[in-house]
Amino acid sequence: MELFLQRLVDGLSEGSIYALIALGLVIIFRGTGHLNFAQGEMALFCAYCVYQFGEWGIPMIPALLMGMVIGFFIGALTEVALVRPVSKRSPFAVFIVTIGVFQFLNWLDSAIWGGQQLPSSAIGSKQRTYPSLFPNDPDDFVTVFGAAIKISSLCIFCMVLVITALLFVVFNYTKLGLAMRAVASNADSAKLVGIKVSQVLMVSWGIAAAIGALGGVAFAGIITTVNTGLMFTVFLYGSAAATLGGFDSPGGAVIGGLTIGVVQNMVAGYADEWVGTSMKVAVSFLVILVVLLVRPSGLFGTAKVERV
Amino acid sequence: MSRKLHVTIRSGGPASWVIRLLTAAFVVLIVLWVPTRASDSLIDTATTALVWMAAAMSLNLLVGYAGQLSLGHSAFLGIGVYTTAIGVTRWGWSPLWTMPVGFAVAFVVGVLVSLPALRIKGVYLALVTLSLALVFPQFIKWPKIEWLTKGASGIDQVSYKFSKDNPTFELFGWNPWGNLRGQNVKPFYYWMAVLVVVFVYLVCRGVVKSRMGRSLVAIRDNSTAAAVMGVNLAVTKGVVFGLSAAMCALPGSLLAMKTGTVTPDTAMLTVSGSIVMLVIMVVGGAGSLWGPILGAAAYELIAEKTGEWNEADQIPGFLQPVLGWSEMPPSTGIFAVVLIALMFFAPYGIVGLWRKQIARVVTVVPRPAGTANLPAEGSAPAGS
Amino acid sequence: MTLLQVRGLKAGYGPLKVLEGIDLEVGEGEIVVMLGANGAGKTTTLRALSGVIPRTGTVEFAGADISKASPESIVRSGVAQVPQGRGTFPELSVDDNMHAGAYPRRDSSAAIKTDIGKWYDVFPRLADRRHQRAGSLSGGEQQMLAIARALMSRPTLLLCDEPSLGLAPLITQELFKVLERLNKEEGLAVLLVEQNANLAMHIASRVYLLETGRIVASGSAAELSADDSIRKAYLGF
Repeated sequence: MELFLQRLVDGLSEGSIYALIALGLVIIFRGTGHLNFAQGEMALFCAYCVYQFGEWGIPMIPALLMGMVIGFFIGALTEVALVRPVSKRSPFAVFIVTIGVFQFLNWLDSAIWGGQQLPSSAIGSKQRTYPSLFPNDPDDFVTVFGAAIKISSLCIFCMVLVITALLFVVFNYTKLGLAMRAVASNADSAKLVGIKVSQVLMVSWGIAAAIGALGGVAFAGIITTVNTGLMFTVFLYGSAAATLGGFDSPGGAVIGGLTIGVVQNMVAGYADEWVGTSMKVAVSFLVILVVLLVRPSGLFGTAKVERV
Repeated sequence: MSRKLHVTIRSGGPASWVIRLLTAAFVVLIVLWVPTRASDSLIDTATTALVWMAAAMSLNLLVGYAGQLSLGHSAFLGIGVYTTAIGVTRWGWSPLWTMPVGFAVAFVVGVLVSLPALRIKGVYLALVTLSLALVFPQFIKWPKIEWLTKGASGIDQVSYKFSKDNPTFELFGWNPWGNLRGQNVKPFYYWMAVLVVVFVYLVCRGVVKSRMGRSLVAIRDNSTAAAVMGVNLAVTKGVVFGLSAAMCALPGSLLAMKTGTVTPDTAMLTVSGSIVMLVIMVVGGAGSLWGPILGAAAYELIAEKTGEWNEADQIPGFLQPVLGWSEMPPSTGIFAVVLIALMFFAPYGIVGLWRKQIARVVTVVPRPAGTANLPAEGSAPAGS
Repeated sequence: MTLLQVRGLKAGYGPLKVLEGIDLEVGEGEIVVMLGANGAGKTTTLRALSGVIPRTGTVEFAGADISKASPESIVRSGVAQVPQGRGTFPELSVDDNMHAGAYPRRDSSAAIKTDIGKWYDVFPRLADRRHQRAGSLSGGEQQMLAIARALMSRPTLLLCDEPSLGLAPLITQELFKVLERLNKEEGLAVLLVEQNANLAMHIASRVYLLETGRIVASGSAAELSADDSIRKAYLGF
């Protein structure tokens, strides 16, 4: 039971990170119908920036906020300068452009900060770690029903719940949210009722990248270092989460992310003998494949009726 | 204003045949020049380019023509790699004969993957195929089948074993096969790669120009409409998935015997391999037969050139201020910029750019259906 | 007094030129009908007037030049469009559709709520379905929603793009009655684009005939139906 609880919370906190990336993907997909392949790398760049701010002596919270602002600008700029001009041609071209952005940002990270892990533990005798958002020392845990649960895991899970609630309010009860939903539903009509569609799309990409930045920083905090390969797997799980929940459903993205995190931890925990660490990946994707076969638009996605 | 030069060519007419022959002669010349006159390293680069060509062509059949986005082709490449590696080392097969086996295995897997593709579309399909690419290396490393795949440590000694008895082939004093006795086997693999590329090209051409090719384009442009018009979606998608996967296994086999050592974590067998194939296809021109060929050549050229800039002082002068500060070789960054720029200025790739330039001076008049043997001039139907 | 004055309006899609210079006028409180066959450029005219496609020529609305204005500022200045094929937001609830219609307004949410209530009184069937998704409404209801949504921006000119498309004749009649009532009671000017000539002619104060991007005839409904050749070619009776 203790073990189960521990794995559950670990799974939820890992899943929370996936959920943040998935949320970003869904926000972009709803607005423009594109899959942003660079979502993870945008987050990674921001995570590097936050590390750099930390090196310059800026406290964690302002550093994080600055990182999210940078994320917002990267996202918005990508939409305006790169995605919009190409999107008139074909959705495929946009996909390729996001792959280009993905490669470019990844290279930029290694060009600026080098290929090795940061902060490098070799400097000095004291082991330095990536600034964690929440207390993440080995003795920072609470005991619930006999299970030792890390405080940082709980905090990250709660943070994602708060973000989700916040987004829910923005989506459903603000003018910006209304505009975003209207654009997602019918961009042509949105223009005709006087919504500035281009602005809405720009802001959507910005918000998506800012949320991703939060995910990137939180994840780097969990595993205590940052390197250029950090976010690619997270992006893959995030997109898997979005697939599972349905690419047009923000709630689905969160549930999908949490599900994948928990399934993964449970599988690794209970069936380690048979599945092993390497096939952990396969299990979650198998789950998704089965779900997609039953519901081709994900668990909470809406199926579009096609007209000829 | 001066009138620009403008030529009209009748498709299937003499001028068109001359152009075709010239192009063919040019291609043959390059293909012959590389193994006989070029340096060893260039032969190596060319072989790699040929491997990418075949892989990207097979991907192009599925993505460019049938419009089914796949990020999983690295797995099909990997199936070829591992079929050859296992066949050669475990059962002592000749490397050449592992190729049809890999072809068949990949065909079956491809058809299996096409089953979910019948229900899943667009971004969801991309992610399902992406998961295939992701799972493949993990599957190879899975402890339960380590007895077969040797896990993360990989398999070595896959290459051909040449002995003194191997025949050599000489023509007018030079030997296009390379010196097999002296163990310089680079031209040998080069020629195998050429054969694979020719085979894949012919298959793609056959499919595209056939009735099936038109069904594929119909599926790409509007699958619902295609189904309504009587295209059997299940069979067509199944066959094209299978074919595409099977053909992608061939360069995989080639790769295994060329490098001699295979490990599951080779970049080509992971998601990044799939991305490279996709990039090559797009750079060359998706949905055209020659696109992947030109794309792969361009990709290898850029990769080779920028790969040399490992140290800051190797970067050419005019790029120094832009890239000199970088802690990493700039090749990935340059390629990313080229890729994005291409989407802006040449969305249909090199082939699209070429056609656009040619269209300024040459108009190709298509041959009317069913008039193949009529005289070219003055054949307008009378009295109409 | 003229509300909308259009001179030499040209528009198209990329290399394709659809409108070849159109002149038209809509007076205050007038219902003007534009008739034309498929592909004549009716929808293009409305889209150009709303500013969602590039156009040249002069468009004056209530004395101000809006020929270079962005779609949102055109809506704000008082021109609302009911798009063709009931362009509602199908995934949004009826209520949210109405709120989206009020997007350019900057007044209090109480005033917006009052307006929504007012249009629900005019279209009582929408009030019953206010929490339903717009996509689940019937064709006629969606068309009513599209009109009500356009009215939410408090327009002085309503551009209606073939509201009768795909609707049963009885429902079309009902719709046109509502338009007539809005015109009489609210003083709303309407530019109605139609293929369905018979019905539209009844409520029109003036009629334009559009053919391949040009206005080929104009006049009052009575004048046009009196002209034999026009009646045979366009009105079909």
